Amino acid sequence: MSDPSALGGLPLLSARDLEVGYAGGFALRVPALELRPGEVLAVLGPNGSGKSTLLRALAGLLPPREGALEVRAARGVSLVFQRPVLLRGGVAWNAELPLWGRGVARRERRRRAAAALERLGLSALAGRDAATLSGGEARRLALARAFAVEPDVLLLDEPFDDLDAIARERLSLDLRRAIGATGIAVALVTHELRQALLLADRIAVLRPGALVQLGPRDEVLRRPATPEIAELVGMANLLAGSIGERDLRSGLARIALEAGGELRAPSALSRGTGVIAGIRPENVKIDEAGDDPGRVGSGVVCELVSDGAIVTAWIEWQGVRLRSHLLAGRGLGHALKSGDRVHIAIRPEDVHVMPRPR
Amino acid sequence: MSALAPGAVIEIALRTLAVSGAALALAVALGVPAGLALGRRRFPGRGLLVATVNTGMGLPPVVVGLAIALMLWRSGPLGGLGWMYTQQAMVLAQLAIALPLVVGITLATVGALAEDWHLQVRALGVRGLRATWLLVRETRMGLLAAVIAALGGILSEVGAVMMVGGNLEGETRVLTTGILMYTEMGRFEEALALAAVLLGLTFVLAAALTVLQQAHRA
Repeated sequence: MSDPSALGGLPLLSARDLEVGYAGGFALRVPALELRPGEVLAVLGPNGSGKSTLLRALAGLLPPREGALEVRAARGVSLVFQRPVLLRGGVAWNAELPLWGRGVARRERRRRAAAALERLGLSALAGRDAATLSGGEARRLALARAFAVEPDVLLLDEPFDDLDAIARERLSLDLRRAIGATGIAVALVTHELRQALLLADRIAVLRPGALVQLGPRDEVLRRPATPEIAELVGMANLLAGSIGERDLRSGLARIALEAGGELRAPSALSRGTGVIAGIRPENVKIDEAGDDPGRVGSGVVCELVSDGAIVTAWIEWQGVRLRSHLLAGRGLGHALKSGDRVHIAIRPEDVHVMPRPR
Repeated sequence: MSALAPGAVIEIALRTLAVSGAALALAVALGVPAGLALGRRRFPGRGLLVATVNTGMGLPPVVVGLAIALMLWRSGPLGGLGWMYTQQAMVLAQLAIALPLVVGITLATVGALAEDWHLQVRALGVRGLRATWLLVRETRMGLLAAVIAALGGILSEVGAVMMVGGNLEGETRVLTTGILMYTEMGRFEEALALAAVLLGLTFVLAAALTVLQQAHRA
């Protein structure tokens, strides 16, 4: 996806020191958040962290309690709910609704609704009663309805729910194409990390009540701010330890792991600080020749799972089980068996050190 | 004593339609907006208002008749209108019976709609009158049920219209008061003729509303 900073342009939405909430008491704090033309922001967070609340606030459905939300989206902001509500009537009428609400003339309304239905593969169902649609069809109709207004900002709440794998891929492609063609900005909430990563330029992470990290996708993936976020973004190996001596030549800190092993990693934290070392599974390498500069000793393969493209191996190393992702097919993963002893390499730059939360 | 002439039956039936039709139109015109507002908005005193409406739905017609009579009586607060024993008085009495039915059923129908429905309509950028129109469209079944209930209530009503209308021949006699009178006089033939017309009217009107209610979702 395109680099949003290269697009320049004023943000379509910008929130500053925003606090939104419901009368019941739940509140969400957003220190700063911007959405620029042509970018995709994925919002990740555990259940109940306020992801839907954030989208509703950005859509202007929840007035801010504090702070301000600036909207510069001339063609509007469209929100697709997690559970879309279809209105009584036909499929085509539902697609036309937001245009009808804006007073668009009938002919123009029909044309744009038909184009939106086409985009989501619903043309054949245009004459049907909306109440007869399946879950997946209803969701696609809700998306078509959002596209019909050709908005500047599209907010999607769990758009991949109820869609099968093929529809999911197709929707991802449709979104990419629509984003590329129109410069539309998208914020999407999803628990489908894979889909989020496929689409996202930036990632926002929520924990209950607050936005806790916001950054370019790879930055958040490699440098999550807390172990909690690390887990959420797929940094599956989280090892407790403390900062030991600093290697004078390389400047790297030695990290003494509680389970017994030792890693080296860049860190500015002072000696004795309790830390969590995070390593993404794809960065736990099997070192066939045994001469990788990141070698950390050997371990025993104890479990292997393959999805056909990626082999996930659990390797017992120094009292911990490391998770490693290897390429399947002709790759290393193919030859590996449970019980094999292998050399492991973890490069210091792939070890992300986070202070241990109390 | 001659049997009731067909012309007289038609005249009574038309008067019934005029009175009940006016009452129904007023009840819908006032009751649906009130029900929509009461079902949607939250404000202090709303609970009391809803309880009042619900009580009104079960109000005994004779009590309504008495209240209207007291108001319209020469010494009453509305005595100056001179409406006692007129069709206006009958419309007023039927309105008092039908209004709570329309408000109550409308409000229940709107209340049964998920909160997300309203949020979705706002998210689609539909506001104001258009949003109200969508709401009416969405709750059409319930709204027509309210109209059917109100129609049944006022067409079959006899106590209140008798008290404030007086069953004056050629002026305020309607089907129900006519049936009551002829039955009391032992003239069952006439009573049966009027009853048949009343049943027929009720059926035709209810059937028409049902067709409207169940019509294919356009």
